[in-house]
Amino acid sequence: MDLTPDTIVLWEYGGFRLNATIVNTWIVMAVLTLASWLVTRRLRPDVPPGRWRTLAETIVLMIEEQIRSITPHAVHQILYLAGSLFLFIATAGLLGVVPGFRSPTGSLSTTLALTLVVLFAVPAFSISHGGFRVYLRNFIQPSILLLPLNLLGEASKVISLSIRLYGNVMSSAVIVAILLSIAPFFFPVIMDLFGLLIGMIQAYIFAVLATVYISAAMSQPRANPPPEDSL
Amino acid sequence: MSIDWITVLAQLANFLLLIWLLRRFLYRPILDGIDRREAEISRRMAEAEEVREQARSAEARYMEQYEKCLAEQDSMVLRALAATEGARDQLMDEAHDRLEQERREWHRHLERERREFMAQLQQAGTLVLSELVRRALHDLADESLEAGIVRHIGRRLAPMADELAAAVGATRQASVTSREPLAEPLQARLQADLAALLPGIRLQFSHDAGQSPGIVLQLGGARVEWTIDSYMDEFERLFAQDPAARTVLLPDGHEH
Repeated sequence: MDLTPDTIVLWEYGGFRLNATIVNTWIVMAVLTLASWLVTRRLRPDVPPGRWRTLAETIVLMIEEQIRSITPHAVHQILYLAGSLFLFIATAGLLGVVPGFRSPTGSLSTTLALTLVVLFAVPAFSISHGGFRVYLRNFIQPSILLLPLNLLGEASKVISLSIRLYGNVMSSAVIVAILLSIAPFFFPVIMDLFGLLIGMIQAYIFAVLATVYISAAMSQPRANPPPEDSL
Repeated sequence: MSIDWITVLAQLANFLLLIWLLRRFLYRPILDGIDRREAEISRRMAEAEEVREQARSAEARYMEQYEKCLAEQDSMVLRALAATEGARDQLMDEAHDRLEQERREWHRHLERERREFMAQLQQAGTLVLSELVRRALHDLADESLEAGIVRHIGRRLAPMADELAAAVGATRQASVTSREPLAEPLQARLQADLAALLPGIRLQFSHDAGQSPGIVLQLGGARVEWTIDSYMDEFERLFAQDPAARTVLLPDGHEH
């Protein structure tokens, strides 16, 4: 039994192996992009929104509201990142119920990539918000003696985020696989439902944690605070 | 649990691409659409408010014109009432004038009828009275009316001798007029009575059917007469004063 879709190689050329993780990620990306394009291709301000547009607006506004409840800074920029994280992880989890589809979030490579994105985004937002010196000063707060611990904390974010998501998705897939061999008619369905629930929860947690990390990085006072209405 | 770093890099690129795609096809269209819709709603609200304001001003103008029309209507009604009352008063005045004129004409007509009636009555009364007097004289004194009249005029001449002499002047002529031809003896007696006062005077006798019964003696500018008319004038005066007499003499439709 393959624990990760990384081991499923679909095409290989030279040293590059096109595995199921990448292909399934493309599928998720295609589904999200196609659905977004279909919903937003004919937006007119003078026409009332249809049901799909209303659904898309509701999802986007819910994400935006969640971000706004955490931080008032750079809401739209955080929305692009955290919203994409949430939609990608949630869609990957939903597609996990399709027979033969292995969720790309069940790959440690995927979760590590997502975590690295967050890891790079946190200093990027912090520097863009408060400046480079303010960002560096965070590592010596409250004392320069805590610099190693602060660096360790940053690294632990990467580990906790990536392992949490990977472990939950992978374990769900493993449990379903085990139950399929024991009781193939009833329990896998229940576990798939649990897997869906867990996938949605993990998507929410991953996005919220990313927002919290970015928000915490931007909570330091600015070196040259802009006018309040520039937010 | 292994990490394929090529897959990690690929997933990094994929996710960054996904962020760009979602930003391009989901977030920006949705957020911009919401902003445009809010702007559209605000614009429409502003337009609606403007239209509402226009409607309010139009309503105010309409109400103003309505009030103005009502005032004009009241004014027109008042003018029409005044004109109607004026026309009515004019018609009433004209009707009153016509009634007054008709009443006057009616009174003139009645007066004319009354006069005609009185003239007829006087004429008839004259004849009746002369006939009654004539019969009374004949029955009581065995004398004719003309003889009595001649004797009465003869008595009246004596006190008027001077006056008559002055009136007759040098002509020495006088005329006697009666309704019926006067009998020869009576003519001679009247001639004798007058000659006794005015010697040499000549009388010319004539008769006139239109004259009232009696005798009229004309001497120049002097006039001595006795006719029934003088009695009839008295009769008419008494008739006008006595309603009972009028009731008797003026039956149905002749009393006014």
